Amino acid sequence: MSRLLLLLHTRLALRTTAIILMIVTLLGVVFLALAVYLRAESVQREQQSRIQELLTTVERTAQIGCFLGDRHLAQEVTDGLLSNNIVSAVSIDASDGTTLASGRADPEGEPADSVVREIFSPFEPETSVCRITVAPDQDFIDKLVSQASTFIGGALLLQLVGIGLCVVLVVVRFVTRPITGLSHRLSELEAETGQQLQAPRGNRDDEIGQLVISVNAMIDNLVQSLGEERRLRLEREVEERRYRAIFDNVEAGIFELDSAGFVRSANPAFRRLFDMATGTDLERHPVAFAALVGDGDGATHAFAVDDEAGGYERQWEVALDSGERQRWISLILSPLETGRLQGVAHDVTERKKAADAAEKMAMTDPLTGLGNRRGFDHRLAVMARHHRLYPERCHALITLDFDHFKQINDTYGHQVGDRALCHVGGILAGLMRQRDYVARLGGDEFVVLLEGCDQRSDVEVVLERFLDRLRKPFEVEGDIEIVIGVSIGIAMVGLDTEDAEQAVRFSDIAMYAAKRAGRNTWRFYEPVTQS
Amino acid sequence: MNRVQRLLIASTFSATLVVAVPVSADIAVVGNAGSGIDRLTQSDVVNIFMGRYRKLPTGNVALPVDSTTLKARFYRALVNKDLAEINSYWARLVFSGEASPPQQIATIDDVHQLVTQNMNALSYVDGGQVPDDMHVVLMLSE
Repeated sequence: MSRLLLLLHTRLALRTTAIILMIVTLLGVVFLALAVYLRAESVQREQQSRIQELLTTVERTAQIGCFLGDRHLAQEVTDGLLSNNIVSAVSIDASDGTTLASGRADPEGEPADSVVREIFSPFEPETSVCRITVAPDQDFIDKLVSQASTFIGGALLLQLVGIGLCVVLVVVRFVTRPITGLSHRLSELEAETGQQLQAPRGNRDDEIGQLVISVNAMIDNLVQSLGEERRLRLEREVEERRYRAIFDNVEAGIFELDSAGFVRSANPAFRRLFDMATGTDLERHPVAFAALVGDGDGATHAFAVDDEAGGYERQWEVALDSGERQRWISLILSPLETGRLQGVAHDVTERKKAADAAEKMAMTDPLTGLGNRRGFDHRLAVMARHHRLYPERCHALITLDFDHFKQINDTYGHQVGDRALCHVGGILAGLMRQRDYVARLGGDEFVVLLEGCDQRSDVEVVLERFLDRLRKPFEVEGDIEIVIGVSIGIAMVGLDTEDAEQAVRFSDIAMYAAKRAGRNTWRFYEPVTQS
Repeated sequence: MNRVQRLLIASTFSATLVVAVPVSADIAVVGNAGSGIDRLTQSDVVNIFMGRYRKLPTGNVALPVDSTTLKARFYRALVNKDLAEINSYWARLVFSGEASPPQQIATIDDVHQLVTQNMNALSYVDGGQVPDDMHVVLMLSE
């Protein structure tokens, strides 16, 4: 049963046939019922009319028999009627009620609709002499009907079988076989080569032909899109290789950041810049960019993509302290896509170094290696800015001037003079803290900035020590030694004045006051003396 | 023979013919004057002559007699059938023995003699020539 169902499910021809046969069978049953019914009716009518004919045949004899009341003759008529197989019972009754003759062919036959014929006198047509009652043989009628039904049923069955076979053949020949062939060819078709499907012969102009045309159109489309796809893929591969080559070999570090500030990919140059192991799998173990850059805490946010604000390009430089040498990296971040930043990192250490060196050179006195006027101005500006920000902090500005420097130059020559300048400069530099600044403004004039020097006494301590060291004789050449004297003026930014420029003038004034006081000493700026 | 004589003979002959036709117009069913039967219906006569009744209304056995010369006219008038049909009717009954055809008498004189001598005899004569000693029980018009 299940196999039959499967077969019906998988075979179009069988299914079609089964459905058509079912319909034909249903119709056949209806037709058969109708035919049997009509046939029964007609057989009934036929039998009635045959009995009428039989009666007509024996009527004259019956007339005479009845007319004379002749029982023999009546019996003769009865027997004659009963000898027909369609008659089951006959009875001849005279007008006065007496039965002249009667007979029954099959005693068990069922009584059916009897045919009654009134028999008139042969000489007086108006006078009824008897009545013949003939019962038709229902069994015989039924037999006839059933014979007819069997014939019709058989014919219908034959027709059914014939239709079924024809439908199977037609469906197989005109539908299933072309479709199967088509499907077979379609499965063997190498569509990517542009091969086209051939319609089965004889189906070119019908629905199957149209199907083939549609399939071919689809194949065309597919081949076209495949070609296009392949071309694009090749192009992309070339692009990819090109990009990969650049990515791998370029000096600049190229990397990608995700929204959380983690490095998702990096090229070899980037790994070199940030001392990452070349084998690090960034996809699996993402590294926080902030950790690479160094100053770790919270700085992650600086590199996170702020989607709310939209990606925008940012550029800054970071310093990396990797071991012994400091390196500078320039970073450019630009949005790549949502939640993704692409960054380019350049090693700008050399440039930075060169720039720093140039700047340092511009601010350095080549003779002593201390700051020059330019450096001092720069530093003074920084200090002034600092003082404006933090007015409570005081700073000391010290101006130094050699006593009789001209004599040294004139006596021992410029070389000794220069060495004397270097000597004093060395002592000054040796006394200063990291944040203090010493500069030679020109000639024998030095300036010292003491940052964060709140009390004059602090300055005095430093100057005491300086003068103490200065008292040690300076060896000029051979056994000639000289002692260099220096006059010193001091102005306190924050105490004497709030203005740095003015402090310079005040310290100058104080320095001259020291010279007047006998040289080789120091004086604080005193407004009273000035007035 | 002159022309007048011939005319006379012809007219006399045709006059004879004209007179004879009304005489044979009816057939009288006759019986013995002393039979005690006054009238019979046509149905009675049919039943007796066709063998259905064997007895007269008086109870005596009937003796129907066919007069050969008038037989055809009689049956035509009585049951509207020709002799062939009547003969065929009787032929069917030959073997059954239930009924027998009337006695056949050739001449009118013999019929006359039989009817006058037999009380239960019934026969028929031309309606115009009924002898006085016969009793007409029914007139059949043709």
